[in-house]
Parts: sequence; structure tokens; C-alpha cells
Amino acid sequence: MLAILTKYRAAFSVGLQSNIIYRWNFAARALFSLFHLVVVFTLWTAAFAGQTEVGGFSLNSTLTYFVVMLPLQFMIGAFNEDYQISEEIRGGLINQFLLKPINYYVYRISIFVSARFVSGALAILPLLIALPLIYDQLAFPSDWGWRLALGLPALLLSAMVQFTIAYCFGLLTFWFLEIQSFVILSMAIETLLGGQIFPLDLMPDWLFRLSQYLPYYYQMYFPAAIFTGRLDQAQVMQGLVIQAFWVLALLGLAQLLWSRGLRRHTAVGG
Amino acid sequence: MGFAHYFRVWLSSVRYSIVRTMMFRMDFIMWSLVELFWMGVNLLLIGVIYSHTDSIAGWNQYQMLLLIGTSMLLQRLLMGFFWSNLFELGRNIRTGHFDFFLAQPGNPLFMVSTRKIDLDSLLNSFVAIAVIVYAVNKLGLHPGAADIVLYGVMLGCALVIHYAVVLLSVAVTFWLIGSEGIVGSYFTLFEFARLPREAFRGLKRVLFVWALPAVICSNIPAATLIGGFNPGNMLWLALTAAAWLGLAVLVFQRGLGRYSSASS
Repeated sequence: MLAILTKYRAAFSVGLQSNIIYRWNFAARALFSLFHLVVVFTLWTAAFAGQTEVGGFSLNSTLTYFVVMLPLQFMIGAFNEDYQISEEIRGGLINQFLLKPINYYVYRISIFVSARFVSGALAILPLLIALPLIYDQLAFPSDWGWRLALGLPALLLSAMVQFTIAYCFGLLTFWFLEIQSFVILSMAIETLLGGQIFPLDLMPDWLFRLSQYLPYYYQMYFPAAIFTGRLDQAQVMQGLVIQAFWVLALLGLAQLLWSRGLRRHTAVGG
Repeated sequence: MGFAHYFRVWLSSVRYSIVRTMMFRMDFIMWSLVELFWMGVNLLLIGVIYSHTDSIAGWNQYQMLLLIGTSMLLQRLLMGFFWSNLFELGRNIRTGHFDFFLAQPGNPLFMVSTRKIDLDSLLNSFVAIAVIVYAVNKLGLHPGAADIVLYGVMLGCALVIHYAVVLLSVAVTFWLIGSEGIVGSYFTLFEFARLPREAFRGLKRVLFVWALPAVICSNIPAATLIGGFNPGNMLWLALTAAAWLGLAVLVFQRGLGRYSSASS
């Protein structure tokens, strides 16, 4: 057991080092997201003008939702994991994993975790700049005790959902030469149904309930909504069950794609 | 070389782009879908907000739709005619392939800017036009021929501004080789174009309406269709376009002077 851990810890540490190289990229991205925050604040402040609540939530609580979204993206979001995996398959780099006692999924997720350590740390940067300006407008729920206790496991599972979806898209390379357009199309769906464009609870009720059964809901909206008080305890408990189901289902799909894909894969050269 | 000659060069670029698109049909379909979907995402956001409120900074749902349609049309036109050319310009400066354009008998800026067109974006510009027409209908507006021409002229000015902003962000590559990320700032900047000018107050108004040219690009043409022609606004847009294009061309020319190829 310990030996297994050591093995993937090495992958983690390599991932950490190679991601630190991209620190400027992440930092630039984090700073650009500040501008996005200005757009969000401007739009929603104008939309709330003249009313105290929209969809049962105050302006400040809605703004807080978008502010929380920002670091979450950098802490649990999949960035270019799908491309990296695609590149490794196309370039034949995965051949070495077929010969060694290393599980490719665990190897990749170790690198994913290390990358999120780097980008997550850099996401604090724009927040530090923004916080003095927006501090007055933040409104967190008062019952944060259970929200933290249930929100953190939800956050971890969200990261699993994020990564595993990206992993599956990467594996599509076994069948398709070019996955870029799939990835961008799926990114649009994930951004929308993950609640990054607007809080999902503002959709018509039937759509909101439908979205709770889709995996995207558990990529970003779910943890953000727990932390910012948009879901009650019963909804969170039910959500955790569905989220756990999706993690297992996606892991199953990833395994299926991997074993089917390998049958199509021809390793050439060394 | 005269205008007619440049037009012929451009036409052959268009022909080349069409042939290329026909060769990669599946790509064309997928990318068209991707763009269409992202446009849908923006429309959904508006739909969701207006299911809870009647007005955003004094703009009703269909006025807002007209604004979003205008900003989508502008972005599609930029993507269709210029984006990949300018994006590749950055890469070519880095790799030294830019030599190839310098060796061509023609203005280098024209040559790099018009090499290909993206048919998927141009196709989706019709979707944006449909959104605009739908909004105009819903608002009960009846623009005459003169209004439509004016709207078109304003879109032209706004397109010049979009082009200048991208060219500027790419031209930085002449000085900073590793500036790949800066091009993405175009999308960040023009996110503001989907907001009504009236929503910006105080410092934000100074910065995003007056200093940076994003908001007026979509707001002035849309407001012209809604509220009629305002010569002051037209002048503002035209002068902004001239200033930003001038700046971008100047920076590009300066960059050309610095360019020293990259072959080994």
C-alpha cells in the first residue's frame, strides 16, 4: 500500500514542478478573471436594481456566489487535462504505462491534483486585489458549520467529476484524431449547466430539477451553492448521493473507454 | 498596387479558404456548432435574467437582445475575417514564418490580415443577424433604408476597433516573444460589449465606456436602431475607430522595424 502511494507521490511531485513553470499563465488567467468579475457585478447589480430579491436571493448573496465560483474554478476545474491526455495517446507516450505497473488514471489524477495546488494558490492573487473593493457586498450564510462539513466532501467529489469528464474526453483520441471541437462544445455545456453563467436555481423550476440529475450540476454549482447558502440541508444530502453516483458512473465509463480504446490502439516504435 | 489588385488578392484568399473548408467538412460543422452553442449560452443568460426582472439599466428584454445580437455579429465578423490571421501572426513572429509575408509583393499588414477567412463564423453571423431582426420586430421598430445603412456604417467602425485591439495585442509579440496569453484579453475586453452603457457608473464608466472601446462598439449601433441617429455618438465611434486603428498600425510598423526573423 505504502509502495503504491510512493509511486504516485512521485507523479504528484513531477506534476507540481511542471505546473510551476506555467505559473505566469495561471496568474494571467486569474487576473483576467477579475475583469470577468467586473462584468458579473455590473450586470447583476443592474438586474437587481429596484428589487431586493431575485429568485429568493439577495443581490449580495448572488454576487457572493460568483465570487466563490472564481477560486473554485482554479481549485477544482479541469483546465487542459483532456488535451494533455490526448497528446500522450497520439504521441505514444502512454505505451510506457502499458508495460509498467502504473494505473494511468491514478497517474493522471495525481498530476491533476498537483496542478490544482499551483493554480489554486494563484487564484488567491486576484481575490486579494478584489476583496477590499467588494468586501461590503459579500454575504455568507450564518449556518456555515454544516455547510463546511458537507461542502468540503462535495468539493472533492466535484474535482473528481471535473477530472474524470476531462479524462474521458482525452480518451476519445483512441477513436478521433482531433478532439478539440468536442472539448470546446462540451466546455460550453459544462460552463452553462455547471452554473458559471448564472446560478442554476434562477432557471425555471422544472429545468433546475432536471439539471440536478446531470453530472454538470456537480462540477461547480453544487459546492458553490452549498457554501453560499443557495441549497438547504435536505437538498445537499440528496445532492451528495447523486454526486457520488455520478463519480462512480464516470469512473466506470473511463474504465470502459480505456479498455476499449486500448484494443484499437497500436503502439508503434519505442 | 491599386485597390483592384488588392481586391483580387483577397478574392483568391477567399477561394482558397472555401476549398480548404470543403476539405475539412466535419471540422466546419463542429466549429459552427460550437459557436452557435456559445451564442445560445449568452441568449439564455438574458432569458434567465429577464424571467426575474423587466429591465437592465433601463433596457427591456428585446432592446437587450438587440444589443447582444449586435455584439455577437461584430464578434462573428471579426472571427470570420481576421481572427485566425492575426492569431497566426503572433505565432509566425515567434517562429520566424513571418518572413514569408514580408517577402510577398504587397503591404505586409494587408497580407497577414487577409490570408484566410473562417466560413463557420461568417455562417453564424447570419444567426446573429436573425437575432437582431427578431429583436427589431419584437420592438416594433421599422428602420428605413437610411437607418440600416447608418447601422452598417457604425458596425464597420466598430469592426475596425475590434480589429485594432486584436492587432495591438498581437503586435506586442514583436517585443515580448512569450506573450501568447495576451491575445485572449480580446475576449475578456469584449465581454463588456454585452452590457448596456448605462449600467456602468463612476470609475467603471470612465474606464470601460470612455477609455476602453468595448462598450460603445455595440451600444452605439444598437442605440441608433432603437432611439434614432445621434450625430455626436456617430462622431465618437468614428473618431475612436480612427484613433485605435492609427495606434495599432503605428505599433505594428514599429514592430516590423524590430523584427529580426528567428531562423537558426
